[in-house]
Amino acid sequence: MAGKSSLDNVTQSKVDGYGFERDGDFDHSSYDEFMSRYLAILSRRSIRWSGIVSKKNRVPRSRKVKRYCRKGIPNEHRPMVWMCVSGAQESMASSPLLYQTILKSQHDESTVEAITIDLHRTFPDNIYFSANGNLRGPLFNVLIALSHKNSDQGYCQGVNFVAGLLLLIVKNEEKVFWLLDTLMNDILPDFYAPDMKATQAEQELLGEIIKWKAPDLHAHLKKMDIQWCLVATKWFLCLFADVMPVETTLRIWDCLFYEGDKILLRVAAMLIIQNKDQFLRCRTFTETMDFFKQIVNNPKITDCHAFLQKCFTELGPFPKAKIKALREECMQGVK
Amino acid sequence: MANRAGAQRPNGATQGKICQFKLVLLGESAVGKSSLVLRFVKGQFHEYQESTIGAAFLTQTVCLDDTTVKFEIWDTAGQERYHSLAPMYYRGAQAAIVVYDITNQDTFGRAKTWVKELQRQASPNIVIALAGNKSDLSNKRMVEYEEAQAYAEENSLLFMETSAKTAMNVNDIFLAIAKKLPKNEGGGAAQPRQQGMKINNSETSQASEGGCCK
Repeated sequence: MAGKSSLDNVTQSKVDGYGFERDGDFDHSSYDEFMSRYLAILSRRSIRWSGIVSKKNRVPRSRKVKRYCRKGIPNEHRPMVWMCVSGAQESMASSPLLYQTILKSQHDESTVEAITIDLHRTFPDNIYFSANGNLRGPLFNVLIALSHKNSDQGYCQGVNFVAGLLLLIVKNEEKVFWLLDTLMNDILPDFYAPDMKATQAEQELLGEIIKWKAPDLHAHLKKMDIQWCLVATKWFLCLFADVMPVETTLRIWDCLFYEGDKILLRVAAMLIIQNKDQFLRCRTFTETMDFFKQIVNNPKITDCHAFLQKCFTELGPFPKAKIKALREECMQGVK
Repeated sequence: MANRAGAQRPNGATQGKICQFKLVLLGESAVGKSSLVLRFVKGQFHEYQESTIGAAFLTQTVCLDDTTVKFEIWDTAGQERYHSLAPMYYRGAQAAIVVYDITNQDTFGRAKTWVKELQRQASPNIVIALAGNKSDLSNKRMVEYEEAQAYAEENSLLFMETSAKTAMNVNDIFLAIAKKLPKNEGGGAAQPRQQGMKINNSETSQASEGGCCK
């Protein structure tokens, strides 16, 4: 059955369908319980998608496709749909030789060094990125090419995890390069800039959204002396890769490539707000920080379908103009 | 400041005072900051430790005579561009471990820059320890022990060569810091995060060796 390629017969395995080793405390029972429901959803989505994926293997941008992306793209269509809806396909088509040209060019020594240091530190618990795996080479290529093309941004730690997960799904380094390039330049401009200001501002913006959607929780977290930058740097820089369960991260990316940066805020806000009662019970800074670690990986998050649905239905609207104004304010506030 | 909660008796045991300190790890990328913390907090070592993005927060408790010292540890990312975030982590810290890799001279230079920055900008009484990590790789040594020791003495730093891999000196460096930190109420130097903070020990694991808490 389509859509199950990475998922079936792996629930009891020590390695998941994406090559990640499951640690000893992996919660098999809630995962199995979720998968038994989710497989039915996946096959239904797969049938729906087959109706809109054209023979040319393209999808146009439309309200319908946007809705479909929110409900999840079947794994076998992900590379193509991400490429199409994000605009990466177009960029690749307009510079077909660029990736290979950059790879053949002279590379900046310090960038090579910085990337090389991270190659064996990217998903070391994934069989494809282990010493015997075959993805460290492609990871290096993608990261070095990206840093050269965007030399003003250079190599930012964190992108290695995004690139790594993209390689596991897309399985084509040139396409991964273009998806990352689109993320860096169009979807999340300045997120990976050396001054880190945009990422800091985005976290302050998350704080403003919590204040807007759950003022009592915001006040409590402030009393606990929680600064937003202590909490969400990795969430935003890794786009939840290596933070949440893979399936959930991919569902977020389905929306990210279509709709852009707002999904990251929605997800981050939902993560916090859906645990409001437990947060309010945290009495110290340490307790609160420890709880922040738990909210990203638990059965509520494993159920990516319910969680994503919640992100769109329970938080109310995120009007573009309001977000834009708040973001500008936060940007001003970041020194 | 040291958040003292002397009246607390965690786990029903008869204990002296409990002090809580904020400690930050700084140093160049891939010198072993996260590995030192993982060894100290969980007694583990991973040959391939993931790169830290932003910072990781962990806690660990050590016992000194009648005092329980609880460390709130901020393990920071080493890449230069994360430097701008560092003040957020060392602000209010009572202790810092500046880490370099004994097989890489550049990382020692970077460590000195961190020490300077802490001396200039962190809390005035911050206890700074210098850790020359990867001491198990002494056949690839590029930074002499004596050189680092002399530098540490000049700057009044605690100094040890450590190995997160073999565990050598890992608990010891945290213990040495714990000993040097002022345990009297109001003795810490940093701004208080919160007065009268309640210490909750229920979920804190304890150092596998070196401490008295078992």
